[in-house]
Amino acid sequence: MSTFTTECDQNEYLPLGGSEVNAIVTVTSDGAAGETSQPEAAEIVIIDTSGSMGAPRRKLEAARKATSVAIDCIRDDVAFGLIAGTEVAQAVYPTDGTLVPASAQTRADAKIALRRLKAEGGTAIGSWLTLAGTLFATVPGRSCHAILLTDGENQHETDDHLDGVLSELEGRFQCDCRGVGTDWKVSELRRIASGLLGSVDIIAKPEDMAGDFRTLMETAMGKATGNVSLRLWAPQGASIAFVRQVAPTIEELTDRAVQVNDLTADYPTATWGRESRDYHVCINVQPRDAGEEMLAGRISLVEGEETRARALVKAIWTDDQRLSTQINRGVAHYTGQAELADCIQEGIDARRDGDLATATFKLGRAVQLAAESGNDGTMKLLQGVVEVDDAATGTVRLRQNVAAVDEMSLDTRSTITVRVGPGAT
Amino acid sequence: MTVLCPHGHQSETTDYCDQCGALIVAGSPGGGTTQVLPALEEADTSPAVRREPCPACGAPRSGDDRYCEGCGHDFLGPPPAVAGWEAIVTADRAQFDRLAVSGVSFPAGYPERRFALADGENRIGRSRGQPDENAPEIDLARPPADPGISRLHAVLERRSDGIYALRDLGSTNGTMVNDDPAPIAPQTAVPLADGDRVHVGAWTTITVRKR
Repeated sequence: MSTFTTECDQNEYLPLGGSEVNAIVTVTSDGAAGETSQPEAAEIVIIDTSGSMGAPRRKLEAARKATSVAIDCIRDDVAFGLIAGTEVAQAVYPTDGTLVPASAQTRADAKIALRRLKAEGGTAIGSWLTLAGTLFATVPGRSCHAILLTDGENQHETDDHLDGVLSELEGRFQCDCRGVGTDWKVSELRRIASGLLGSVDIIAKPEDMAGDFRTLMETAMGKATGNVSLRLWAPQGASIAFVRQVAPTIEELTDRAVQVNDLTADYPTATWGRESRDYHVCINVQPRDAGEEMLAGRISLVEGEETRARALVKAIWTDDQRLSTQINRGVAHYTGQAELADCIQEGIDARRDGDLATATFKLGRAVQLAAESGNDGTMKLLQGVVEVDDAATGTVRLRQNVAAVDEMSLDTRSTITVRVGPGAT
Repeated sequence: MTVLCPHGHQSETTDYCDQCGALIVAGSPGGGTTQVLPALEEADTSPAVRREPCPACGAPRSGDDRYCEGCGHDFLGPPPAVAGWEAIVTADRAQFDRLAVSGVSFPAGYPERRFALADGENRIGRSRGQPDENAPEIDLARPPADPGISRLHAVLERRSDGIYALRDLGSTNGTMVNDDPAPIAPQTAVPLADGDRVHVGAWTTITVRKR
């Protein structure tokens, strides 16, 4: 059973009359799991086999190969299955509406089923996810994970239908989404990944798919802990301004709250391997007198009903301005990273709408924020879309011809953050 | 085991109050010592109260001491629980299915709640949320709350022979005991045996038993 540790980074001093309490909570899991305590898992790979996957031919070929690599990464006895998606969803392995335990034999059989896949038909992602949910329901109690690969937009379903499917399936399984090529919609896949607590990324070249699938499946297999929630207690009269995962990526959790009682809510964080995540918690409390100390938030990591780690968010009121005006470095840093992600998304949207002034301003601000925080990865992606004249002041020029793949890469990866401090990765 | 916070809340956590978040001073049981409770002033002025026997062990109270010298009982705290009796509250799927109340769903998760029964009245009901001075002793207001329970639903009273009797206080949806589908008559005491199940609301079962 893995061990969780928490660290709370905050300036607990508030000026008199101050009510906003900010804290960065770092949660680390050592991912240690004995062979016996590893949770029973289930895996489904969902492959888009719509007509476009056959053009160029190597796209479906690459998807086959990548899925085959992913199948090899599945541990023995993990229940697994394959779904081929067009305007309908089809369980291609196994075909009897269940999942099978992984073994040398079943892995080989699944690869034979893979070879029979043909690229023809449309795209109805909601129906693929619904089928995955039905198959996962045949193996209750397992920690369920899916990989979704698509190359196109959801054509045969309305947005409302997809939203309905996502809210129905939330919490039932985790889904990492990958878009191959440049004909898919970033906002759509992000909505799916976000709703199902997974990641979203672009695979620009089909030949990169196998490596990515291997990483995804190995990460999934390394998850030592099942469904974990961040539980937040706040005192009477307090309100939660927001709860946001800020590292390794930005993920808004505020709306995901599941109320436990009047003062306590759970925020889902899905499965954990050996990893560390940062959360930014902002709570508004009722101001008290100078010198008074109160607890603004009690945070615990809960797995089922078992508490695995705790952290305290405090508030102390003081008339000493040297104490109360210090802005915590972590809070400032992650506030900047959240603004960076917003600027990129707003900048790209503005550019697409032809509002070049707003696009230049937003992407310029993004360049400035990326430079200040040392977010080199995002900076590189930004340079594919703008020419940087002066990063410090955020002076940029929009590039005339931007490759779709550059813009989509920037869009998908805009939520990737860096940690505080020089040289941090 | 609860402690008193400086703002007068009973807190199950001992570092900060689990209601208002106030810091509870370590090392002083009962937490905040700054607040003078009205009960203490009464104890100061009335000689008759000074020698009151401890309700837990019977030792006479020394002056206006807050804690009993005999057993450490808190004279300002709630009356002591009678050793051995408790009410265990659970969400009862079988009962829910039997009643089949339309428009009410069975809670997805319901942590078992235990209430030690006090000597005297133990009212069953739903408070209007905290703070509520008139909250029933067995307060089932915390979510997931059973919508079929009245604000003041029923009461468990300890009789002089040590047996607890159940009395429905004129609740909207009635109170049932064990497997009898008929509700008990309102305002009529029904003696309970160890292990008897009291059904209230759409899915709540309260098992009364000796510890």
